Amino acid sequence: MARASLWQRTTACRILIRDEKERPLITEFEVPSEVGNERLIMDRVAEAIAGAITGEPLERLKTAVAEAAMNAIEHGNKGRADVPVFVQVLDSDGSIRVRITDRGGGGTDADPEIPNLEAKLAGLQDPRGWGLYLIKNMVDEMHVSNDGDLHTIELVVRSEGANR
Amino acid sequence: MPELSVSMGVRKINDEASAIDIKGDLTAACEDVLMDAYAQATGDRTRALVLNFNQLEYMNSGGIGLLVTLLVRANRQKQRLLAVGLNDHYQQIFQLTRLDEAMDLHDDEGEALTGAGIAT
Repeated sequence: MARASLWQRTTACRILIRDEKERPLITEFEVPSEVGNERLIMDRVAEAIAGAITGEPLERLKTAVAEAAMNAIEHGNKGRADVPVFVQVLDSDGSIRVRITDRGGGGTDADPEIPNLEAKLAGLQDPRGWGLYLIKNMVDEMHVSNDGDLHTIELVVRSEGANR
Repeated sequence: MPELSVSMGVRKINDEASAIDIKGDLTAACEDVLMDAYAQATGDRTRALVLNFNQLEYMNSGGIGLLVTLLVRANRQKQRLLAVGLNDHYQQIFQLTRLDEAMDLHDDEGEALTGAGIAT
């Protein structure tokens, strides 16, 4: 049996472990909250789901994963390297589910201001603020949940060959 | 801070146009590099700036934000931004964010300049 991760040993993570029993787990891992590690998370998720999703749908999921991971690292965990981002990849009912969990509560906001390019060019909106908009438009479903100090974003993409 | 994995080469095409060759990752961390490149590429007579994405490896929302900032600066100077070499995925992202309406997308530099009415 694999050694339990730091997070799995905490009672706060029980909900993640419970779900692991309900859905086939492809992989799970932790990554230190250091700026730039969103690329590492993106690559590890892509490697884990090789073959299940390919081509442009894979590129779209990779973009969504990187954005969600960046939010978790920078906003959720405030870039504290000793506080890891926890990632689960599950195969569920013809879909790939990627869950990215931070411990901040300041990670991905489910309903932020919708970015508008004209407003940004006119100085009425910050030029930044595209992350969640990208995520929502790159995947089939997005769910955000909070459980105590755990904040999770779940990205869902239907696998190739699944009924649409 | 992680080491930057981007380089931006500036080429003067003629008095009216310059190009920035973006190689590597375009993220929020690139702000100084991109704005320095823009300053080098811009002269009194510059009307168009070609952003060459042929060697782009990765771009995230922070990079998109930088392009919006660059658009604001270029608009103030009455300059056009032209994008060439975007792959299918990033073309989709430009469509999603409507950046494709604010800067013309082309397959190559010659086509971009011709479309902007600049002799090459």
